[in-house]
Amino acid sequence: MSAQDPMVRFERVSKRYPGGRDALSGINFELGRGEFAFLTGHSGAGKSTLLKLMMLMDRPTRGRVMVDGEDLSQLRPSQVPYLRRKVGVVFQNHQLLFDRTVYDNVALPLQIAGFSPAQAARRVRAALDSVGLLGKEGRTPIELSGGEQQRVGIARAVVNKPPLLLADEPTGNLDPELSAEIMNLFVRFQQVGVTVLIATHDIALIERMGHRRLILDHGQLVAGGSAVEDDIYGG
Amino acid sequence: MADKRPRQGGPRQGASEQRIGIFHRLQAWLANHQLVAVETLIKLLQKPTATILTWLVVAIALTLPGALWMTVDNVQQLGGQLQQSGRLSVYLQPGSDLNEGRQLAQQVGSWPQVASSDYISAEQALAEFQASTGLGGALELLPENPLPAVILVEPPLGVAPAQLQALRLKLEQQPLVDEVQLDMRWVQRLLALLQLGERLIWVLGCLLALAIVLVVGNTVRLSIAAREDEIRVIKLVGGTNAYVRRPFLYLGVWIGLVGGLMCWLLLVLCWWLLSGPVAELSQLYGSAFELQPLSAGAALILLAAAVLMAWLGAWWSVSRHLHHIEPQA
Ligand SMILES: Nc1ncnc2c1ncn2[C@@H]1O[C@H](COP(=O)(O)OP(=O)(O)OP(=O)(O)O)[C@@H](O)[C@H]1O
Ligand SMILES: [Mg+2]
Repeated sequence: MSAQDPMVRFERVSKRYPGGRDALSGINFELGRGEFAFLTGHSGAGKSTLLKLMMLMDRPTRGRVMVDGEDLSQLRPSQVPYLRRKVGVVFQNHQLLFDRTVYDNVALPLQIAGFSPAQAARRVRAALDSVGLLGKEGRTPIELSGGEQQRVGIARAVVNKPPLLLADEPTGNLDPELSAEIMNLFVRFQQVGVTVLIATHDIALIERMGHRRLILDHGQLVAGGSAVEDDIYGG
Repeated sequence: MADKRPRQGGPRQGASEQRIGIFHRLQAWLANHQLVAVETLIKLLQKPTATILTWLVVAIALTLPGALWMTVDNVQQLGGQLQQSGRLSVYLQPGSDLNEGRQLAQQVGSWPQVASSDYISAEQALAEFQASTGLGGALELLPENPLPAVILVEPPLGVAPAQLQALRLKLEQQPLVDEVQLDMRWVQRLLALLQLGERLIWVLGCLLALAIVLVVGNTVRLSIAAREDEIRVIKLVGGTNAYVRRPFLYLGVWIGLVGGLMCWLLLVLCWWLLSGPVAELSQLYGSAFELQPLSAGAALILLAAAVLMAWLGAWWSVSRHLHHIEPQA
C-alpha cells in the first residue's frame, strides 16, 4: 500500500464465466497513481468484466488483481466494503435510488462511511457543484434528464474522494456536447490526483483527448498494457 | 460549467480531512441508528394494513402464554390462601373417656404450633351427623354410637406443610389418639395442577416464540425482496454487512416491540373482562379473592421475549437472504 505501488495492477488475469469462453485471458497491465486511461474494444470484448474485477463484483478465474497495493484475492469478505469505498464507479445504468432525492443519493457513500450529516452536507454540495447540479438537490432522479442522472452518478462516485475512479460507458446515450463536458469533468478529477479509467466506445472522443488507451479484443489486451508484460514476464 | 474549478480533493490532498475522529464516528453511528430506527417505523406505518396484521399476529401469539401465566399466578395465590385454613382431625380411640379427651384437647391447645383446639365428644359428633345428613334413623338401629370423639386442631396461619406433618406425627404419638387426618391431598393436587400449568406455559411459550421468529422472518424476507436494488447500490458504494442489515433488524425490533405492547393491551382486556365474574364467584364462596393482573415483572419478560424473538427472526432472515444480493453492473 505504499505510494510506490501502482494504483491498479493486473497479473495474467483470466476470467471465464460458467459455460462460456474466456471473457478475459492473460491480462497484464498497470495503472499508475494519478494516471488517466481509456479502455476500449468491441462490444463483448471484456471491458465491463475487467472493471468489475477491480470492485470485486466478480473474481478472476486465474491471475491476480491488485488495487492500491492490495491483492484482492486475499481480502476477507469483511474488507470488501472498504475496498469499494476506495473505488468510485459510474455505470451507464446509473444505479441511482429512485425513491430518494438527488441529495440523499449523493450523500449515501458518506453516510455509509460514517460522516455526520453536517460534515456530509459540505461535501455533497461540493460534489453536486462540480457536476453542475447544485440547484437540483431536492429532486428525485426520475425528474432529471439522462445526462443529469449520469452526473448524479458521477457526483456520488467522487463524493467520498476515492483515489480510483472507474466509469463504464459514462457517455453512452449522451449528445456529443454533454459527452465532452463529462469527459472534462473526469480530467479535472485526474488533475487533483485521482486515478481514472474509463471504458467507452466513443472513439472520436478518445482520439480528440489523447490519453493512454487500453484496447481489448476478444478478452485479450492488444494495446496499451505492455508495461507489466515487458518488466515482469519478459514479453 | 467548464470554467468551474473542481472542489473535489484527490486522495493525498484530502488525506487529513479523510480521517474522522472516533468521537465523530460514534456520533455519526448513533445518528445513523436513530435515523434508521425512525425511517423503518415510518416505512412500516406507510403500509398500515400489513403492519397491523403482523403486529396482531405477534400480540396474539404472546397473549396465549401470557393469559395462561396470569391464570397460574392467580391460582397459586388462591392456593396459598386456602392452604392456610388446612386443619387436622384427631380421632380418639373408641370408648375413650370424656374427661381425658377434654384434657388432651386443652393440652394440645397450649402447644406453640397449635392455634386452637376443639373437643367434639362422640355424642356431639353423632348429633351433628344426624342433623347434617338426615340419616339419624339408620344410626339408631346400631347397638352403639359408631363415631369416635374428635379433637379439631387448627394450626396457626401460614404454617409450612413440613411443620404440619411434624405436628401430625406428634399428635399420633399421644396415647389416646387413634388416627390423625391431615386433609392435604387437595392441596397437593392443586400444586400438581399448577406445575402442569407452568409446564404448559413453557411448551406453549416456546412454540409461539418459534411462530414469532417465523412470522417476522417472513416479513423481513419480503422487505428484503422489495429493497433488493437499494441493497445492491449500498453494497456497491461500500456499505458493510452491518449497515445493510441494520434497517431489517430494526424492522424486527419494531414488530416485536409494538406486538408486545399490543399483547399487554390484550392481557389487560382479558383481566378486565374476567375480574368482574371472578369477584362475584369468590363473593359467593365468602372469599375476598380478586383476580390480579399479570405482574410488572412478568409483563416485562413477555415484552423482552417478543422483541428478542422478533429480532432473532429478522436476523435469521437477513443472514439467509442478504449475501445473495450483490452489486451488478
Ligand atoms: N454474467 C455473465 N455471464 C456469462 N457471460 C458473461 C457475463 N457477463 C459477460 N459475459 C460475457 O463475457 C464477455 C465480455 O462481456 P463484457 O460485458 O465484459 O463486454 P463489454 O466489453 O463490456 O461489452 P459492451 O461494450 O457491449 O458493454 C461477453 O462475451 C459476454 O457475453
Ligand atoms: Mg460493457
